[in-house]
Amino acid sequence: MEALQTVDLTKLYRTGLLKRKNITALEKVSISVDQGTIFGLLGPNGAGKTTFVKLLLSIALPTSGTATVLGHSIGQRALKKHCGYLPESHRYPGFLTALDTLIFFGRLNGLPESTLKDKAKSLLELVGLKDWAKVKTKKFSKGMLQRLGLAQALVNDPKLLFLDEPTDGVDPIGRKEIRDILIKLKSAGTTIFLNSHLLSEIEMICDKVAILNRGIVVRTGIISELTAQKLIFNIQLSEPVSEDIKVSLSHKHFSLEFKDTNLIAALKDKSELNSIIDTLRASGIGIEGMTQQKTSLEDYFIQLVKGENEQ
Amino acid sequence: MRFWGMFRFTIGETIRRGTLIFYFCVATCFLIFFSLAIGHSPDNPGVITIFGSEFAHESLPELNVVEFILIQLHSSSVFWIILFGIFGVAGLIPGMLEKGTIDLFLSKPLARAELLMARALGATAGIAVNLIYFFVGIWLIFGLKAGVWHWGFLSSVIYVVYAFACFFSIVAIAGLITRSAGFSILIAFSFALISWGLELREKLFYLLWDNPVYHRLLDAFYYLTPQLNAMLANSSRVIGKDPLTPYSAEFTFMPFIYSLFSASLLYGLSIWYFSRQDY
Repeated sequence: MEALQTVDLTKLYRTGLLKRKNITALEKVSISVDQGTIFGLLGPNGAGKTTFVKLLLSIALPTSGTATVLGHSIGQRALKKHCGYLPESHRYPGFLTALDTLIFFGRLNGLPESTLKDKAKSLLELVGLKDWAKVKTKKFSKGMLQRLGLAQALVNDPKLLFLDEPTDGVDPIGRKEIRDILIKLKSAGTTIFLNSHLLSEIEMICDKVAILNRGIVVRTGIISELTAQKLIFNIQLSEPVSEDIKVSLSHKHFSLEFKDTNLIAALKDKSELNSIIDTLRASGIGIEGMTQQKTSLEDYFIQLVKGENEQ
Repeated sequence: MRFWGMFRFTIGETIRRGTLIFYFCVATCFLIFFSLAIGHSPDNPGVITIFGSEFAHESLPELNVVEFILIQLHSSSVFWIILFGIFGVAGLIPGMLEKGTIDLFLSKPLARAELLMARALGATAGIAVNLIYFFVGIWLIFGLKAGVWHWGFLSSVIYVVYAFACFFSIVAIAGLITRSAGFSILIAFSFALISWGLELREKLFYLLWDNPVYHRLLDAFYYLTPQLNAMLANSSRVIGKDPLTPYSAEFTFMPFIYSLFSASLLYGLSIWYFSRQDY
């Protein structure tokens, strides 16, 4: 069952003195996110990732298209009762302590007054801010505010959690802790929608991703499927390959790159690898080592976005 | 629950603002000044003294001295108290709209109308705390030191707070449109001046152009916007009649009723505008 589904969601911003100029922030975005999964939305700056989340939470209003979140159409207040949101640049009232901040946001979520304090304390413990409960948030570092932001987003035990750059400004240990929290939430059935520039993190925890460029979804899929489109092998040879052998190999395999005693082969399937090795060994060239290069999500993302922008 | 959560938060934010803390200190200084200034004559307990000198008005021997002092104090200060109050809390609406703050607030199950009204009422309540402190302080000083417990003066604070709440509707809509505390203050202060001028429109603006359409437009503007000056003047009349103003008007609820409608209209427009904006 889908936790979130959008159909042709479009957002135009009107700019200029007379608001006659239109800027397309999102164009016919159709995405569906299964319940209990972690979904990553990737895209360069200005791609429309934050706008997409804002439309779902009615922080901005869509120009056209439809969307349902946890079975509710966007704009319904009931939807927000079950959603948590950590915005990209969040500001907390500096005069409140971490504990008071969570109690305040708990109140805004309509939680019973009797449970607020205990809930706030347990969340501060979860995000590693237990010892900072009575400290005013104006004294917090960026990383600590990010942890507090995550606790704030979890205050109503959301079924769907929207996180916009959740590990921004957090140290590597903190990032690992946040990842662990997200994995724990996922195992408890929470659906997580993640906007992030940190593709390595997305790769580590997301089940499915969508790549957004200039307001358009250019690819959606499971990470392993997106990154396993090409098999690239780096073969270390005992000696440089002669021109005759290069020609012979090139006739059979079109994506070969020679660098002294290194051969980089981009293959369509693994059977091609045996053919290359046979040709090399038959020519008396030894194989000293071989490593498979897997296309990382980052490589895939960069290639895709560059390609889209060049078109 | 959610509305009261935001309301409580706004009161807290208002009270903790540097300007409001400064006003609290200024009010305290005034109270100390009055507590030192006001006293009884040792020879005649019925006579009020100011810094030890008996207070009497030469042309008005029958003057109720305490009432006279309270009316003068009230009528000369409330306009400025309101303006300084606006200066202190005008940033609350634009502050709420800042990136990172508005995203958090709007992501909660709180309607935009509730959010805006909780902010406006919270700001009014924050100012009311300061006003009540000052008015109750003055009332206690005159009660304890002069033996006059003037309930009219004490109750006038309700009218002043009401006037502030109506006037804040201008700040709210200005803050939503301009998203700037500075511009909101500028617009509110300009409106306060215009309001004062409109109050005297028959003696002032009517004379500029003898045209009935122009006169009706001025009237419409007067009745469609909060009548700040008229409300404050009437809040002073709760204390008593100003002995220095011959034929002074009687207290009337009309400016408060008109302002209730105009403030409701402005808050309604603010909600309409706020609910159609992207953040």
